[in-house]
Amino acid sequence: MTGAGNYVGDLKVAGCLDAAFVRSTVAHGRLLAVDTSAAAEVDGVVGAWSAADLGDDLAFVPPFFPSAGGEDPRRCAALAVDRVRYVGEPLAVIVGTDRYVAEDGADAVRVDIDPLPALVDPGEAAASSTWLFDGVDNVATEMEFGTPIDDEVWQRAAVVVEGAYRQPRLAPTPMEPRAILAVPQPDGQLTVWVSHQAPHRLRRDLASALGLDAERIRVRVADSGGAFGTKSGTFAEYLSVVGLAVKLGRPVRWLEDRAETLSGSTHGRGQNQRVRLAADENGRMLALALEVDADVGAYPNTGFVAAETGQAAAGVYLTPNVHARIRVVVTNTTPTAPYRGAGRPEQVYAVERTVDLLARRLGMDPAELRRRNFIPPEAFPYHSPTGRVFDSGQYELALDKALELVDYTHWREEQQRRRRSGSERPLGIGLCSFTERSGLEQAPMANEWASVDVAPDGSVTARVGTCSTGQSHETVFPELVARTLGIPPGRVSLIEGDTDETAQGIGTFGSRSMQVGGAALHRAALELIEEARRRAGEPDARYADGTVITGQRSWTLAELAAASPEPLRAGGVYDTPAAFPFGTYVAVVEVDRELGNVRVLRLVAVDDCGVAVDPEIVEDQTRGGIVQGLGQALYEVMPYDDQGVPQADGLLGYLLPTIGELPPISLDTTVTPNPNTALGAKGAGEAGCIGTPPAIVNAVIDALGPQPAGTATDIGGMQLPLTPETCWLAAAGQEVAR
Amino acid sequence: MKPAPFDYTAPAELSDAVTALAERPETARVLAGGQSLVLEMHYRRERPALLVDINNVRELDTITADGDALRVGALARHRAFETPTVAPGALGRLLSRVSPLIAHPPVRARGTMAGSLAWANPVSEWCATAVALDAGIELTGPAGSRLVGAGEFFLGPFRTARQPDEILTSVRLPLLPGAETGTVGVGFCEQHRTHASFAQVAVVAVLTLRDGVIVEARLGLAGAADRPVRAHEAERHLVGREPEPDVFAQAAALAAAGADPLSEPHAGVEYRRHVIGVLVRRALVQAREDSESADFFSGAGRDGHDGWEAR
Repeated sequence: MTGAGNYVGDLKVAGCLDAAFVRSTVAHGRLLAVDTSAAAEVDGVVGAWSAADLGDDLAFVPPFFPSAGGEDPRRCAALAVDRVRYVGEPLAVIVGTDRYVAEDGADAVRVDIDPLPALVDPGEAAASSTWLFDGVDNVATEMEFGTPIDDEVWQRAAVVVEGAYRQPRLAPTPMEPRAILAVPQPDGQLTVWVSHQAPHRLRRDLASALGLDAERIRVRVADSGGAFGTKSGTFAEYLSVVGLAVKLGRPVRWLEDRAETLSGSTHGRGQNQRVRLAADENGRMLALALEVDADVGAYPNTGFVAAETGQAAAGVYLTPNVHARIRVVVTNTTPTAPYRGAGRPEQVYAVERTVDLLARRLGMDPAELRRRNFIPPEAFPYHSPTGRVFDSGQYELALDKALELVDYTHWREEQQRRRRSGSERPLGIGLCSFTERSGLEQAPMANEWASVDVAPDGSVTARVGTCSTGQSHETVFPELVARTLGIPPGRVSLIEGDTDETAQGIGTFGSRSMQVGGAALHRAALELIEEARRRAGEPDARYADGTVITGQRSWTLAELAAASPEPLRAGGVYDTPAAFPFGTYVAVVEVDRELGNVRVLRLVAVDDCGVAVDPEIVEDQTRGGIVQGLGQALYEVMPYDDQGVPQADGLLGYLLPTIGELPPISLDTTVTPNPNTALGAKGAGEAGCIGTPPAIVNAVIDALGPQPAGTATDIGGMQLPLTPETCWLAAAGQEVAR
Repeated sequence: MKPAPFDYTAPAELSDAVTALAERPETARVLAGGQSLVLEMHYRRERPALLVDINNVRELDTITADGDALRVGALARHRAFETPTVAPGALGRLLSRVSPLIAHPPVRARGTMAGSLAWANPVSEWCATAVALDAGIELTGPAGSRLVGAGEFFLGPFRTARQPDEILTSVRLPLLPGAETGTVGVGFCEQHRTHASFAQVAVVAVLTLRDGVIVEARLGLAGAADRPVRAHEAERHLVGREPEPDVFAQAAALAAAGADPLSEPHAGVEYRRHVIGVLVRRALVQAREDSESADFFSGAGRDGHDGWEAR
């Protein structure tokens, strides 16, 4: 750690103004008045605006996927108009000479809201006659994957188990919340510094929403304190900040603070799930049905997260009949959006918890049950009943390695020993086998732009359309290009996250940077070698260590670059389809039955992300994900009261695991290369928070068992996060109502 | 999260701090470690017109043995109590069990024991410790100093007997009695969600044993009411009995039955009541074990020669 980073908050810009927002404290209501007149009088305040004050200048958030037919009835304005729909919704923006006076101005704004009934639960919202948006009900999207399963399948099956689970809302909580600084230049150019995952999309959206010329906007991503999916959007606040910077002709900065980010920034997860799983007497799965009410919050900008849960429904298992029905429902809560995992942790949790239920119903070892049902390696590419094509996998290999690494037999014996002793804390072992999607299946986004340039001094510049928000691109991309070209890594510099320097880019999300961006750089570097050979006049010449070697002589890349006024460069847009990393996680826990406290004794993760270009960086990604998964399993939930008011406004109320909560973690890998790229890498950013929660929850249920023989349902059972109170109630055999 | 405007003064003399506070008692606040007050100011839930920062008042940065009590100045930070040598014998052992469970290291480096008492969060570990030990709380105002017992000091959540023009200048913790009265054992248990969280429940137990019988019992509870409380009924049950599991279980049940815990988003009332019982029992077991090891180590703690140094 050097302290030399430059975050948006560190940038020094003369005459820079700071913005602060007035946000709704009411979840649902008619917005009668927002009076900004007193704010404008506060010393140091440059201006204060409500939606009404902005008039025709009010901008609307562009939809993530533009819809075909006219204006979206559920569109989101930069500042609320007529109606407020969640606590934290921006109502007014105040710009002042510093953040202190901007907040003084925000204090002086008077807001009058006439409350309406608040809808907090997606199931209730779907059924409610109170609609968030006039003229349209609360179900924003309904989706089906696979074909409905015949009743006969269920009736014929030897066993059917059923579970109902709740995925709480999580706050992604990067160390640095959202941050943006818009700097208008006298010549009409506009530079936007921002902590963001997709600068090219942001530039396009800012231009369309604010009526600006995209060619005159330069979006630059500063050093970033994490994103986890919550910095991929074109947010209402960003429209206000950029719009006012242009209107005032002055630099305006907004640094979201910890208090506002917890309800102002997008949340993740938020699903009510119902799962039904049928198997024959040998445990072979026959059918899986998944029903989800996905809570998309007040504005359904990114309902596609729930589609992932449905499309992936059956997970790693060879199940002939699979059907998923997904409803995306608006509620009076903070909008949800991708959060690390984005639909996969939800799917994996629903299935893996139910698989353990099936194992208990059958009296079968949960590892053995999984083994019997895995899609076998020879079945790939595997076309799933929900319409997905899985590229490659060796699921049993990962399971075996995980069981060996944790010493499964030992812990099963220890579990029995403790049960017999009767006086020791019960111990449980939980498994989770999963596959996830990395990169995107949607053709327009299944690619990335990259280029590699050689300067006459031999230095190499790599450019790529991804954008690091803490994934070590600065280390691994130069490493990759240097390795491909056979030159020292110090000769390669990386440029990304700058729309003037990169021709285009999709960005960094869905674990796509190495799989898609890295593959693009790899191919650009290979093309550069071809170009170097061509310039040397011998396309078949040998190339090694940055040098083209022909019969008579050799040319270094520097010499080839210097020999021609034409830049020595290769690059373009390279397609890479979605990939399917996988793994098995095992958790060993003990439970203090009296207090309900869970202690994770071991957490073992065996991941397969194909070829790891830099295994150390992959390991750190896994560890980070595991800690977030631990948070989801045991600590994290954004609690709302019945009025839709979030009950946490800081990190004393929204609980993150700290260093003191970290369990001993053991990592290992298997390597099944991505069959669709020469590089062979699949994504590695999200596995940790996908595999960890089900492993821990299954372990806790296992510890608190044994369940009554033949238990076929897990409805009204323990729900995430497993608070001490939840575990205490479960241990005492009481109804877990909370 | 920026505070509303406020005036600020940081005098080096206690008398100047008292004077500054007395000029605007209703709108001024005293700043010591600031770990709660400054956060609340950032949320603008606290909007003092004047902050009287006492961090320059050197005389408040002391921990001294003063007769039969440890006198803890208003600037003594939580982390000063992390080692048992901070006080002789059982008191040092108790304080060093409590301190490491207060928040996380950065908070312990700034926050103060006196500030915790003045803030009076009902789940504060130090507040429970103060009531368990019948600590004396020294308040200094324009008319001079007065000493208030911890039992009378706490009036409700974040409410105390401190007058707005008074500064909480020291805390007096009784040095736990020596050889004549018996062997003292201490215990401390708390239930928290993460190491950075406030306690949901915390229990301080101090047992004095003579000839295998409990002659004095002190139980201080945090999270069991709207303020820190003693579990008097449980204490009375313990006195005169042997420190046996049944006796502890009965005391625990009495403490839980007598508690009136507040609800919070992460735990309901019934769970908290249950936890009070569990932790009382566990803290009592700890106290008994502590008294046994104190006895075993030849009563060094009781003689006051266990490495404790005056500071």
